[in-house]
Amino acid sequence: MSATPDGTASPDGSPLTAGRAGRPVVVALLGNPNTGKSTLFSALAGIPTRIGNYPGVTVEEKLGRYTHRGQSIELIDLPGTYSLVAKSPDEQVAVDVLRGRLEGVPMPDCVVMVADATNLERNLYLATQALSLGLPTVVALTLSDVADEKGITIDAAELGRRLACPVVRVVAPARIGIDALGDAILSVMQSPRQAPQGLDAHLAAVDARHEPAAREAIARYAWIEQLLSGVVHRQPPATRPLGERIDDALTHRLWGTLVFATTMLAMFSSIFWLATPLMDGISAGMDFLSGLVRGLLPEGAIRSLVVDGVLAGVGGVVVFVPQIAMLFLFVAILEGCGYLSRAAFLMDRLLCGVGLGGKSFIPLLSSFACAIPGIMAARTIENPRDRLLTILVAPLMSCSARLPVYLLLCGAFVPNVAVGVSWLRLPALVLAGMYAVGVVTAELVALVLSRTIFRGPPQPFVMELPGWRWPRWPVVLERVREAVWSFLQNAGTLIVTVSIVVWALSTYPRNERIIDADVAAHRAVLTTRLAGLPAGDLDQTDVAEELATLDTDDGLAAARRGAAQRHSALGRMGRLVEPLVKPLGWDWRLGCAALASFPAREVVLGTLAVIYNLGDIDPGEEEGGTALVRRLRAATWDGTNRKVFTLPVALSIMVFFALCAQCASTLVVIGRETKSWLWPVVTFTYMTVLAWLGAFATYQIGTWLGG
Amino acid sequence: MSLEQVAIGSTACVADVSGSDATSLRLLEMGLTPGVNVRVVGTAPLGGPLELELRGYRLSIRRHEAARVAIAK
Repeated sequence: MSATPDGTASPDGSPLTAGRAGRPVVVALLGNPNTGKSTLFSALAGIPTRIGNYPGVTVEEKLGRYTHRGQSIELIDLPGTYSLVAKSPDEQVAVDVLRGRLEGVPMPDCVVMVADATNLERNLYLATQALSLGLPTVVALTLSDVADEKGITIDAAELGRRLACPVVRVVAPARIGIDALGDAILSVMQSPRQAPQGLDAHLAAVDARHEPAAREAIARYAWIEQLLSGVVHRQPPATRPLGERIDDALTHRLWGTLVFATTMLAMFSSIFWLATPLMDGISAGMDFLSGLVRGLLPEGAIRSLVVDGVLAGVGGVVVFVPQIAMLFLFVAILEGCGYLSRAAFLMDRLLCGVGLGGKSFIPLLSSFACAIPGIMAARTIENPRDRLLTILVAPLMSCSARLPVYLLLCGAFVPNVAVGVSWLRLPALVLAGMYAVGVVTAELVALVLSRTIFRGPPQPFVMELPGWRWPRWPVVLERVREAVWSFLQNAGTLIVTVSIVVWALSTYPRNERIIDADVAAHRAVLTTRLAGLPAGDLDQTDVAEELATLDTDDGLAAARRGAAQRHSALGRMGRLVEPLVKPLGWDWRLGCAALASFPAREVVLGTLAVIYNLGDIDPGEEEGGTALVRRLRAATWDGTNRKVFTLPVALSIMVFFALCAQCASTLVVIGRETKSWLWPVVTFTYMTVLAWLGAFATYQIGTWLGG
Repeated sequence: MSLEQVAIGSTACVADVSGSDATSLRLLEMGLTPGVNVRVVGTAPLGGPLELELRGYRLSIRRHEAARVAIAK
């Protein structure tokens, strides 16, 4: 019987599963970038069943599965490509899949050629190449509604006759033509293939002095012009569509630049400032939860694990969600209205000098707020080389987590003197300098990497500038949801794990006898120092005060907490790395704080507070900050009266934190975005080496200058 | 004369694309074939890329890429 398993028949009544033995039909979606291919994918298959990398390359593989009239269909979303003569790894993947040359990926039974109806001439270039592959092919005319608005009419039936394959008009977000496309896919595999004729005749007409590849390109366009003559009619609408008038403003030399600057400013401030109240809310919520747990569980190892390990880790994950959602909302809107390419166009000059491209601008700009959404935004860069390079340097942009460290140290240790003019203060200059250190280093790293390990033939910057279109809200929201979800699901669990590991290292081993001895020894050191200091001396007041707090319950608890941390595995590691950090002007406590801040650099101030016996204060608040600054100012090298925190040391800490990769979340996200553990390791290594060298140079030069 | 030298706002006819590497082929594949009319819509600041209009769509290429595109007199 000519019926499919669910009893329905194909439009022409022929059996749909004949000869397929029930295995799913493999359909590949091929098309130029920006043609609504992803939207069509969602309309056909819904949420992808698999997102991964193609074997051996960092090119995203997206698979989906759905059933049409009883036939199970596996959909492969190929990377967007302009030509089947591949010029980049992602284009090569598209070619290899279509030719069945990629191991582990089935050879497609059918190709759906996605062609933008508003730009058919250029899109048909790839279509004519795809047709010569000999696979059953269906052409889907996407963005048909936008074409209507622009007064472009296409005789799909006639085009289909000329191309010898079905041509289906679709409006994917409205699901118009989706069923017809499904029917066309099934029927095209039943009918005998006939390749369209015409290329050869045009090839003969091309000037023979051109290279063979160039001749083919010229001949294809001549053929396309003939194919389209009488098929596409352009009737400009009486009133120019709003989209075109918006386009005029956006391309205007003055207005265009102004709109761009305003948009970028709005985007940046939204992730920097608008996300802050939400993040504060999340922090407050986590604090409330911690408080609740503290009240419910008795003091001890379990409570410490839940509060300082699990809850702190979960809080550290959830706190990034507002920024990620905010940035992706912006990026998806910009992408949806075609503005993302224009932003890349405007910023290209600034970035191509250091081996990056215009599309790196938004990811790098966002990284000043937080590298995590920035790295995720690098998904918008199609070229894998540029994308990887952008991801590798993005963490060098000074993110908002570095700001508290800079502010505290600049305020406490950089003399507040005027530089040249009265309003220009040295601390502000140093703060700006820290941002510059990050930017300049990122430029140098990008430059060096693009000329060494990422060297290759220059990638042509030949980019389409899509016209203005209104963003599709379901697509925008799906993009935000996907970004947040993939972060929580994949990165989140790992970040929580790292947080728990670091908690365990800073808590265990715990020995009450050693802690008691440490506190007693500390009391003795303070007493001796106090005796040796003249009355009325600034240090004398500080030491006297610290000694006095040891007699209070809170003070003693804080001192015991500090002692526990100093004698934990982490504290021992701090002592172990002291020879490594000494050239930076740091003592082992600073080394310890740097190690403890691996999960997130903002933790460093809190860790310093614990190490210096202040307990769990919040150095971000004024009171906590002042207490920490006083304790840091008074800190001396073990067994001496020599101060640890001098100007060169403060600068060396700041430079270290400007350049280091002390953010487990960033590294986890790099691993997740590149789908390889190599790149987080590379990032951590190169950034830590640079941070050490930078801090070393700063301290040594600073000490030498200071005499 | 090359496409790089065409004044903003004016239209020119492509005569040839020099070179035989990937970039030249990509320019041809994007439709910059001999005989096609191209309008230079604008340029990005600081000597950035050019914005072109051809075959009913807009394309951006860098200046040194535009220099490969010869223009018919």
